[in-house]
Amino acid sequence: MTAASDPPSPRAGLPIAAHLAALVAMALVAAYVVNIAAVVMLPPRPPDVVRGDVVLDAFVTGYAAARAGNPPRSGSGAKWAVDAERPKVRAMPRPGTLLTRDLSRRLEIAPDKVIVAYDPTPSDVVVFRVRREEMRIAREAMRGGDGTHREHLREGGHEGRTREIIIEQHTAPRAVAPPAPALPPLPGVPPAPPEPPLFAPPPPGVVLMSGYMVAAELPDGRWLSMRQQSTAETVDWIARAALGIGATLAILLLLALLFARRLAAPIQRFADSARRVGVDPAEAPVREEGPRELRTAARAVNAMQSRLRALVAERTEMLAAVAHDLRTPLMRLRLVAENADPAVRDKLVKEAAEIDALVTSFIAFARDDPTREPRIRLDLAALVQSLADDRAEAGQPVTYDGPDRLVITGQALGLKRLVDNLVDNALKYGGCARVRVRAEAGDAVIEVADDGPGVAPEEREKVFRPFVRGAAAGVMAAGAGLGLSAAREIARAHGGDVEIHDGKPRGALVRVRLAV
Amino acid sequence: MTVESSSPPPAAPAGAPRVLIVDDDADIRTGLAAVFTRAGFQAAVAPDAAAMDRMLEADGADLVVLDLMMPGEDGLSAARRLAARGWPPVIMLSALGDDADRIVGLEVGADDYLAKPCNPRELVARARAVLRRARDTDSKRGAAEAVRFAGFRFDFARRELLDPDGVLVTLSTGEFRLLRAFIERPQRVLSRDQLLDLAFSNDTEVFDRAVDVQVSRLRKKLERPDLGELIRTVRGEGYMFTVKPAPG
Repeated sequence: MTAASDPPSPRAGLPIAAHLAALVAMALVAAYVVNIAAVVMLPPRPPDVVRGDVVLDAFVTGYAAARAGNPPRSGSGAKWAVDAERPKVRAMPRPGTLLTRDLSRRLEIAPDKVIVAYDPTPSDVVVFRVRREEMRIAREAMRGGDGTHREHLREGGHEGRTREIIIEQHTAPRAVAPPAPALPPLPGVPPAPPEPPLFAPPPPGVVLMSGYMVAAELPDGRWLSMRQQSTAETVDWIARAALGIGATLAILLLLALLFARRLAAPIQRFADSARRVGVDPAEAPVREEGPRELRTAARAVNAMQSRLRALVAERTEMLAAVAHDLRTPLMRLRLVAENADPAVRDKLVKEAAEIDALVTSFIAFARDDPTREPRIRLDLAALVQSLADDRAEAGQPVTYDGPDRLVITGQALGLKRLVDNLVDNALKYGGCARVRVRAEAGDAVIEVADDGPGVAPEEREKVFRPFVRGAAAGVMAAGAGLGLSAAREIARAHGGDVEIHDGKPRGALVRVRLAV
Repeated sequence: MTVESSSPPPAAPAGAPRVLIVDDDADIRTGLAAVFTRAGFQAAVAPDAAAMDRMLEADGADLVVLDLMMPGEDGLSAARRLAARGWPPVIMLSALGDDADRIVGLEVGADDYLAKPCNPRELVARARAVLRRARDTDSKRGAAEAVRFAGFRFDFARRELLDPDGVLVTLSTGEFRLLRAFIERPQRVLSRDQLLDLAFSNDTEVFDRAVDVQVSRLRKKLERPDLGELIRTVRGEGYMFTVKPAPG
């Protein structure tokens, strides 16, 4: 009763949207952290762009070795092979005419005996980053005012090592020759020092290639070929990158699971709890936990539950008060009757009993709740037989016929009430009750037969309605007309039903079927 | 004393059982007192539980007939206190006659439970039976609300007999009283007269034959193929419950 007036829980909980947003944010953070870690900690991917002149140099060396009968082994990015046939060249890579001529000259064989095929990399795709140290040199050189220095630089430009400004390929630390630094347009006029290049195109005359295939016919007619191959570093790099992606996925999966559990577990508990409360308001209230929406729902259910509980308590109290107020005068009447003249006494006792029967059926009907009594395994034969025996002992014409034992699952008090109601009806309308119990086709069947006028076929459904009493001619029967409707309700709660048939040779036969 | 004196006690013989009737309705109090006095009891009355306590303190009683719904402390709570003390035995008289209410009354420790309006003579008969049982069993009431024997479990308050498979076996009132008489006096030969006295209220006309019928019915309900004879016929003497029940 207190739950409704409870102040809202101080821990209000976050809305589901916040939980989802947190999940998304955490997933993004996790993904970025892994990505950044991969970029920072993994070495850059080794390039697959190589310089054509270097490739040709390597091939010339390999060709010489092959001629000497010692074909080079595959490895360090190149795959060597000796074939009987001229290697086929697909559309891509295409043969490079300039390099072909160059190679045929260097190997001193006919140009049609060599193949240089590659996937040309446009020089503006690969940019070269100028190393910081060389930039400094370049900057000083350009800033330097005296001509000697510039001259030296210019002369150095023709002299090999000293003129080389080492630049770095953006994708790999590979040194290539830089373009010659720009010279001031007019000697003697101090030039506006240009910004040294941060990035530069590849040096002129250098062909960059990827996916190359170089081949040449050996003197014995076989062909020596050299193809680009993924280096161990590349494979390693791919493996590590895959590992990084896998780790990211694993973390995301873990996060998603964690959030799903955090969201789903309270919802599941809420659903279970709400179902229990719906069946029995006396159950423990729903726990107010989980996201805010769920807490609100739980609070609503709890408020409803406490209202239900109050209603049930109110009804129970009301019924008890009604019972007390009606039965106390009856008890007084009963005591007065004890001192009365025997003829009057019998009449009074009978009237009191009838009023009491009415009160009993009203109260039983009002308080009846078929779901509340627990279901247990019980011996239906013993139950029905005991009721019949009690009636017989009290002097009522009730007999029992059936097995000694028939175990079903059901509500003991409810079934007792069902049989009691039917026996009462039989006695009231038929003057006697013959009760039979049997098992039939997986059901338990109870039959109560009497010797009364029976129930007309058109009345047989009507009498199950509350407050409808059998209109048997000439029978003055007391009762509220609740017995059969209560009986049917109980039977239906046991997966069965109550039907009225013709008795043999006369009377009514009420048949109850119950699921075992 | 706040307690009303009942109809003149001189009619009751000395040593007659003393019954204390507790009910908030004055007419019922005096009416019941008259019935009990006529039946040879010494009757006293009290309008509520507090007066009952004072009366018990001052005079004692052999039996309390207790109304369930009273202003102040209700009958259930009073019955619970008396049961905890172990004396005197209590018959609940209640306007609530449902099986569930009866079970609650018996479970708090009442010795019997009757719904209003009841036949006053039946109340007297029940009172006699309760007194007999109280005299006959020295064990304190409430000491064992349930017993176990041969795999069965017998709950006095709920009048429930669970068989070794856990199936509820309903007993008729006669069978219940008979089994209770046997369980309270195990491994002793009980004559038909004794059983009549213990298990049947004396306003019903019963004969020796009826005892035999009840015993044979009870036997059938206790019959299990793997169990021996629980109720043995002792030729010419009566019946004996062959196993000793354990509390539980």
